[in-house]
Amino acid sequence: MTIHRRSFMKLLGISVASLSLTRCAPFTTTCYAPTLTPIPTRSPAGATRRERLRQYWLRFDELAQKSWEDTENQLGKELAAGHRLALDELVENGELSAAVVDLVHEAYDGAVYHVWRSNTGMTCYVGTFNYGPASASVLVEQSQVLNQVASQWTIDPATLAKAQSALEHDMSYYALSQEEVEALYSQLLEESRPEQPLPEFEELPLEPTPEAKEASRFIIDLLMGK
Amino acid sequence: MNNKPHIQSLIVEVTQRCNHACLHCYNVWQGEPAEAQSRYPRGELDSARTLRLLAKALDETDCHHVTLTGGEPLLRSDLPLLLDFLRERNVRVTLISNGRLLDEERAASLIDQGIGLFELPLLSHRREVHDRLSAAPGAWDAVLEAMANVRLHHGQVVAAFVATRLNIEHLYETIRLAYAFGARALMFNRFNPGGRGRLHLPELLPSVDQVRAALTVAEAASLEFGLPISCSIPIQPCLIDTAAFPHLGFGYCAAGTERAYYTLDPLGNVRPCNHSTTVLGNLLAEPFGEIVSPARMDGFVHAYPAVCHACELGATCQGGCKAAAQVCYGSLEEVEPFMRTGRWENLRG
Repeated sequence: MTIHRRSFMKLLGISVASLSLTRCAPFTTTCYAPTLTPIPTRSPAGATRRERLRQYWLRFDELAQKSWEDTENQLGKELAAGHRLALDELVENGELSAAVVDLVHEAYDGAVYHVWRSNTGMTCYVGTFNYGPASASVLVEQSQVLNQVASQWTIDPATLAKAQSALEHDMSYYALSQEEVEALYSQLLEESRPEQPLPEFEELPLEPTPEAKEASRFIIDLLMGK
Repeated sequence: MNNKPHIQSLIVEVTQRCNHACLHCYNVWQGEPAEAQSRYPRGELDSARTLRLLAKALDETDCHHVTLTGGEPLLRSDLPLLLDFLRERNVRVTLISNGRLLDEERAASLIDQGIGLFELPLLSHRREVHDRLSAAPGAWDAVLEAMANVRLHHGQVVAAFVATRLNIEHLYETIRLAYAFGARALMFNRFNPGGRGRLHLPELLPSVDQVRAALTVAEAASLEFGLPISCSIPIQPCLIDTAAFPHLGFGYCAAGTERAYYTLDPLGNVRPCNHSTTVLGNLLAEPFGEIVSPARMDGFVHAYPAVCHACELGATCQGGCKAAAQVCYGSLEEVEPFMRTGRWENLRG
C-alpha cells in the first residue's frame, strides 16, 4: 500500500490525538473503568520551548469539550496557530529543520481537525460517522439481527448470502485467538517463497521520507517527555 | 497561509440524469412548472471540460473532500476518470447514489478508486414503500444488494432515511435493516421539499408530532444498536426540543461558513447549497473566491424569516432550511414548509 506523505502525517496526528483522548491509567479502580488523568492545559511559567509545544498536544480534551459549541473551530485555529509559532521557535533555535516542522504541524493540524469534527455539531448532509472497524460484539449482534430480518422479510437470497459472507469475513478476523493469529502468521511465513521474502518495515512502500520519520519520532519523543 | 476559501466539502453534481424518480427528490432542476419563466440550466460538460472544472475548483479552494452526487452519479460513464483525478489530487471522496448500478464489480472498483464513503438511501424495511418513494420497482432489492456489495469489499456505507408521511413509522425497522447490512451510521433526513418533492408536499410532509415521535424512536435505536444517527436537515428547536435527544446529532444551515455546502453543478454553476436554486456564478467564467465572496453570499447567508428575528436562536437556527422556503414559496425569507406545519399545529392545538 502506498500512502501519501501528508496522509501519513495526518494519520499519525489523529492516532496520537485519539490515544490522548482515551488515556487510561492502568491498575486504578477496576478493570474496564478508564480513569482520566488530569493534565495541565497551560504551560507553566518558565517552561522550555519543547514543554510549551508539548502542551498543545495535551489540549485535545479541552478542544473536544468545546467543539460542540465551537462550530467554527475557533479554539482549533488558535491551537494550530500557537503550535506553529512554538514550532517556529524550534527552527530558529536550530533544533528542527523547516521541512520537519512542516510535517509535525501537518500531523497536528490533522489531529485538531479530527477532534473538532468528531465533536462538533452537525451541518446539513454531514453524517456523524466512525471510520474505525466494527468491534467483535457489534459483529455478533449484527449477525443476529441479520438472521432475524432474513426470517421476517423476503430478501433476495443472493444478497443475503453476500451480507452474511461479508459478516463472516469480518468475524473470522475477530474470532481468532492470539494463538490462531500467531499460527496464521507462522503459516504465511512458511509458505512465503524464498524469492518473495517478507519485506522489512523499512522496505514497505509507505515511502516515509527521512523528514517524515524524523517528524514522527519527534512527536512521540515530545509526548513521552523526552 | 493562503487566501483560498477553505471549504470542508464541495458537493459536485456530476450529472442531472437519474434512473429513479423519487417523489421526495430535491434536485433543483426537477419539478419545475412548465410555465416557469426561467428554468434551471440543463446539461453536463464532457469529460475533458469536467476535469478542467474540477481542477479549477480544487486549485482555487482549500478543499480536501468532495461529495459526488447527481442525479445518479453512476450514470456517468467517465466516473472512473473523475475518480482517478480526485485520487491524484489527494481528495477524499463520498458518493451519494441510489445504489441501482452498484453491482459487486462496480463496488469493488469504486472502493479501489478511493471512494471512502457510500451514502445510500434506505427508505423502509418494506420493499413496496421504498420502491414507491423511489418511483422505481426493484429499488429496494437493488439498494440492499449495493450495501452488501460495498461491505463485501470493505467499503463504508451510511444509510439515508428520508422521513415522509409514507414511511416515518417504519423508522425503527429500517434502522434494524440498515444495521444488519453493515451501515456505519444513519442519516435521518426529514423530508425537505424542493425539486420534484414540492409537487408531493401534502402527501409527504410529516407533521411535527410525527417527527418528534420518530426522533424518540431514533434516540432509542441509536442506543440499542450503537449506531450514530444524525438529523441532517435542520429541526427548529421552537417546534421540537432537540436537547431531549442527546444521542442524535443535530445541525443548522452552515451557509457562508467553512462548513457550507457549496454545490457545483454539471455545467460549472456554483450554488450556496444543493437545495438552493440560487446561482452565484459559473466557475468556468470566474474565480471561485469571487463567486463565494460576501458580496454575493450575504443575501443568502443573512436571510431568514421575519418571525424568527425576535427569537434568541434566530440567527443560529435561521428558521430551518431557507432553500426550501425559496424553492417552495419564492423567497429565502419565507417560513419554510415544515415550520409552517408546526406553527399551524401549535396554533391549532
